[in-house]
Amino acid sequence: MAQIIVHPKTALVDVPLQIRVTGLLPSQLIMLQASLTDERGELFQSQVFYKADENGEVDLEHAGALGGDYVGIHPMGLFWSMKPKKMLSRLLKRDVINSPFLVHLSVYDITKPFSSSPDSLMASETVERWYSTPGVQRIQLKEGRVRGALFLPPGDGPFPGVIDLFGGIGGLVEFRASLLASHGFATLALAYFAYDDLPKNLDVIDIEYFEEAADILLRHPKVLGPSIGIVSVSRGAQIGMAMATFLKQVAATVCINGVFLAEQIVIKYRNEKFFSFSQHLERLRINELGLLAFYSALGNPQEEANKHGLLPVERAEGHILFIVGEKDYSVNSKIHAEQVMEQLRRHGKNNATLLSYPGAGHLIEPPYSPLCVASMNPFIPRPVLWGGETIPHAEAQEHSWKEILKFLRHHLTPTSISKL
Amino acid sequence: MVQLIVTPETALADEPICIRATGLNPFQVVTFTASLTDEKGKLFQSRAFYKANEAGNVALDQAAALGGDYVGVHPMGLFWSLKPVNPFRRLLKQDVMNSPFYIQLDIFDSLLLEDSPKIHPKASQMIERWFSGPGLQRIPVRNGRVRGAFFLPPGEGPFPGVIDLFGGIGGLIEFRASLLASHGFGVLALAYFAYEDLPRSLLEVDLEYFEEAANMLLHHPQIQRSGIGVISVCKGAEIGLAMAIHLEQVAATICINGTNAVHETPCKYRDLVISPIPHQKEYTQIHVSGALNFRRIKGDPRDEVNQQSVLPVEKARGHILFIVGEKDECLNSKAYAEQAMEQLKSHGRSNGTLLSYPGAGHLIEPPYSPLCFASWNPFLSRPFLWGGDIRSHAAAQEHSWREIQKFLRCHLAPSRSKL
Repeated sequence: MAQIIVHPKTALVDVPLQIRVTGLLPSQLIMLQASLTDERGELFQSQVFYKADENGEVDLEHAGALGGDYVGIHPMGLFWSMKPKKMLSRLLKRDVINSPFLVHLSVYDITKPFSSSPDSLMASETVERWYSTPGVQRIQLKEGRVRGALFLPPGDGPFPGVIDLFGGIGGLVEFRASLLASHGFATLALAYFAYDDLPKNLDVIDIEYFEEAADILLRHPKVLGPSIGIVSVSRGAQIGMAMATFLKQVAATVCINGVFLAEQIVIKYRNEKFFSFSQHLERLRINELGLLAFYSALGNPQEEANKHGLLPVERAEGHILFIVGEKDYSVNSKIHAEQVMEQLRRHGKNNATLLSYPGAGHLIEPPYSPLCVASMNPFIPRPVLWGGETIPHAEAQEHSWKEILKFLRHHLTPTSISKL
Repeated sequence: MVQLIVTPETALADEPICIRATGLNPFQVVTFTASLTDEKGKLFQSRAFYKANEAGNVALDQAAALGGDYVGVHPMGLFWSLKPVNPFRRLLKQDVMNSPFYIQLDIFDSLLLEDSPKIHPKASQMIERWFSGPGLQRIPVRNGRVRGAFFLPPGEGPFPGVIDLFGGIGGLIEFRASLLASHGFGVLALAYFAYEDLPRSLLEVDLEYFEEAANMLLHHPQIQRSGIGVISVCKGAEIGLAMAIHLEQVAATICINGTNAVHETPCKYRDLVISPIPHQKEYTQIHVSGALNFRRIKGDPRDEVNQQSVLPVEKARGHILFIVGEKDECLNSKAYAEQAMEQLKSHGRSNGTLLSYPGAGHLIEPPYSPLCFASWNPFLSRPFLWGGDIRSHAAAQEHSWREIQKFLRCHLAPSRSKL
């Protein structure tokens, strides 16, 4: 009798699983399916075809998928290759403390893949994928101007502090902050527009708001000082870079696929202002499926005309880790990261590292997150192409997450901080 | 005053037109859009952003689009980059005689990412794209077993006869036949399944059905007697190649993105039965868009076990033109065409030509047809991936259509002695 054996059945979402199917006939053709219904009721699914070995088993650690949402040996492929039934939906966990994502794994016997006749279900199993470990605390933050949610690891601490910044969708995205807290960092998921009583639109980036947040974090009794880290993506990474530049409190900054030019938006700190008219929206491209690629419309940071928008990154005292997806269609992120690396080098600084991932797109998230290649942004009339090729993007997520945790531990633990 | 000048306003769908805008401010950024509502009420649109020159003009045959659905100098870009507003819809003219596609061309004096009821164009022009020329006749065919539509050019003739075959979606697709007939050929758009009283699904290919159609065409008083042509795509091209091999009536065959062996359905002619290479659907791949990619489900014709399914192309008497899109995601058409050419060469035959187009996808159609990258398929629950890079695909369509007509005129010329 067929069985799916999965271990562990309950885990943090960034923990890989061992998945085996047993009790099949030798060389039997099966379809493995993973399904998940998100908090809005949207279905996400992956389907893959395998052939059982001579023992009637399929062990995802060794067996190569023949076709479906991925091919080859990918033990966690069922998770990162899930696609929404409703196109352009993005998988984004909202409640990160009280509930996991339930993923249903099923095995079907198939005679004719993709035919109209129903496939016969042979076995199924459900796993729980959590965004926080037991004991992680979530504290709503509303102090001064600052709005967000603070995630504290279990225990007395003190813990290194991190600010987590997402991008142009606004609001408050918490899932990465809760994961970081599950790895021992006191993490503030920080909102900066379109949330609570914050401005509805992002018209100006005022680094003093972010400094206020950094100071609040550092004042918390469970947060280890004297400096904090930042994990930031997209628009958040632009802000993260500015924070690293101007704020002495920042020891380690992770910038994922950011634009480091004050492009078409004022970045200010105290009495300094940076801005350039570098966007050329007439260079926007629409791809064969009608999706909008922004990268060609963004300014080139190396152009003379844009120099007043460049941040004085050489003032950054902490370390910076750039994470770049080379198939990012929304931002020309490689050019921006390389320009900052070059500017630092020219000033004799050696405090930045660039990890560039061929095939990865814009939304580089924690491991096993499904690739979101395009989605609707509430502020843009057409769906936005984020880019990325499924398998390289999944590999980039796995690799970069390990590097991010290593980087933060290295620069935020007491022995390293004293070196600053 | 802004003016949009389009010439000609009425034309065959495969004819290029001239589009110019005047009366703009020097160097201002403008948006050109094209909008078309098909016969099912579905909207297709394209847009491109241009900068006027110092005189306030934009001429699409000289100016380069800066962004939008295409970039660069492409006078017909607004046509071949049309996209359905709801993805995965295919643009396909059903009534090819009585109505054109109406396309509204608009120019806006700002950057417009999508239509807005508050923003009106500075100038508009409605144009007509016809799939049949004046005087063309359409005669429905229900003759013996044969089902289809016959398109006869105006005049006495006799005209070179051509059979037009489409692929695995079945039914009757007429637009290419009517366009080809508008260029002086007598064309029979031939259905072979999922049409009228023909079988609902394709369980076997009976070449005698196609021979009946070929004879019917040849015996028409206004069709040349010296041999017919076949223009065929996809599954139709597999059949077209089998016709070229087994039917002496066929003098010239165009195989667009087809196979060199019999796949999935047996092919029979009189008492010969060619068994097929079965599809292996477990090798289907799912594209990031969710569309199904069938490129790897066909077995390799070079495998020992598949030899009896390979079509003996060296036995074809007439000429064969293979047209291949190298970004075809439906099947590995380049490999199949190259194998067929190799087979001809190894038998000392030189009656084959291969035109291989980098960047072109599966659905290579007459010029200015929008690239259909993926579309819903009546037999599948998910969209189906055809592939292609927009710009290269458009260039391939323009080039191949000219080559197709040249090829047919050359090999169906009345002066040719009967094969």
